[in-house]
Amino acid sequence: MAGEFAIRAESVTRDFGPVRALDALSLEVPKGIVFGFLGPNGAGKTTAIRVFLGLIEPSAGRAEVLGLDTRRDGAAIRTRCGALLEHPGLYERLSANDNLEFYGRAWHVPRRVRQERIRELLTRFGLWERRDDPVGRWSRGMKQKLSVARAVLHRPDLVFLDEPTSGLDPVATAGLREDLAALSAYEGVTVFLTTHNLNEAERLCAQVGVIRGGRLLAVGSPESLRARQDSGQVDIIARGLTSDVVQALRARTDVVASLSVDDGRLSVSLTAGASPAPIVALLVQHHVEVEEVRRARATLEDAFLDLMGSDTPSGDAPRGGDS
Amino acid sequence: MTRDIWTMVWKEWREFRDQLLSLRRGGLSALILALILGVVAPVQLGPEWVHSKIIIGYWPFLAATMVSSLIADSVAGERERHTLETLLASRLPDAAILIGKIVAAVLYGLGFAVANMLIGLIAVNVAHRESAPILFGAQRFVVTIILTVLASLLMAGIGVFISLRASTVKQAQQTFGIAIIVLTMGPLLLFNALELDTRMRVAVRMAALGEDRAEAYAVGILSLLSVIVIGAALARFRRGKLVLD
Repeated sequence: MAGEFAIRAESVTRDFGPVRALDALSLEVPKGIVFGFLGPNGAGKTTAIRVFLGLIEPSAGRAEVLGLDTRRDGAAIRTRCGALLEHPGLYERLSANDNLEFYGRAWHVPRRVRQERIRELLTRFGLWERRDDPVGRWSRGMKQKLSVARAVLHRPDLVFLDEPTSGLDPVATAGLREDLAALSAYEGVTVFLTTHNLNEAERLCAQVGVIRGGRLLAVGSPESLRARQDSGQVDIIARGLTSDVVQALRARTDVVASLSVDDGRLSVSLTAGASPAPIVALLVQHHVEVEEVRRARATLEDAFLDLMGSDTPSGDAPRGGDS
Repeated sequence: MTRDIWTMVWKEWREFRDQLLSLRRGGLSALILALILGVVAPVQLGPEWVHSKIIIGYWPFLAATMVSSLIADSVAGERERHTLETLLASRLPDAAILIGKIVAAVLYGLGFAVANMLIGLIAVNVAHRESAPILFGAQRFVVTIILTVLASLLMAGIGVFISLRASTVKQAQQTFGIAIIVLTMGPLLLFNALELDTRMRVAVRMAALGEDRAEAYAVGILSLLSVIVIGAALARFRRGKLVLD
């Protein structure tokens, strides 16, 4: 089982005095995906990363990262992981080249490989021309990119990125997001990403977990979390709607919960789990010209806000895999 | 482990170098210090600058002062500049990080002292030309280097301890300043607080020790203190603790 998962946490609890930062966190993150860990400030995201990196021990429960026990094998875990934590963690008096050179040496990357890798990453992130400038003179976006480059420099199996786009302007955010997506695709690493940015999570992550107050509220693909919020509302714009057709639709009680018609716009509330396909088929059968069918989809933000408002974990199995 | 220590030393030296090369950030003060200590003082004191018995304590003090200014920046600065947690999340062992920082600071202090010695020797020989070159005796030179290394080690150990408890470089340097005053003035004040007879007896015993034995005692005491302080600093420098501080 350990081979399938990059991270496996079983009832991990971490207390800081009277404060419970992680509350029986159970989580499985499959290898090779971008996993988004979503939650408000103080939800326990950073504490989870610290536990997974073996920087702090859980008060109870256990976690395995890359098949290694976080309590016992912290050093081995850190050898195989990369991290961009809360702050970029760059030496601002040093150049970009020296920052990467230092961490390359720290990870015992052979000299020639190190130099090639530094060049490759700085070029990919568009920083090569500024490689000899002290990092302190750089913009925040450039520093964040350099921090990501540092995190993946030694080709780790797993990378932790704690709010990588935090504080960046929209253009820099979009740029870094593209870089992260490309990195994940090219490097094949597992990325564990914490973020407030739900749009980012939706675009980048194959799976997301939602945490609040140290408790994992839900986990699954962004689609599966959105689907939980779907109202089952379908809007159809059509020509040739007659009262007979509306009557026929109302008769399909297996699919239609309720409907209303307003100037050629048909709004249908579907019954639980129903698909709009039979409705469209019925319309076509009655020679109605269907111009547009639009299902009102919940966004990840809707799902997130709903979870933030609920007191109990959503779904029956807050673990890896769509639930 | 040795490789990891040298990796840390490499990084620290890069930071020292960049700091020194920038006149605004400390290069100018280092240049003025080197000029006063390496040129002005030797020229004024002449051959006495080389042969005086008191000068044997000067180099360790000079190196230790340089170390004290660096180690606070090196240790407390990592926390203040938010680079510590990233460093701790790397594969570098705790001991390698700490020893690397200490070694880098000690090498810097020693380098500064030796550079000043060489500049001073040139200055004194140019300004006070004699028939034979004015040089340190071999034994004195070796003892001076040993004492310089030990004093730097002790100061680095104390600096680490203080810096680990400070949230900013400024706070660490202020506490360090007070600690240096206590360490240097404390024994003198204590000595002065003794009764005159006792002071006389201590002075006579010290004088009777002889130069060689006094140096040996100094080496022994500094070695013991360095081992204790650095050992305690190593015990304190633990990832789990540092991340939560």
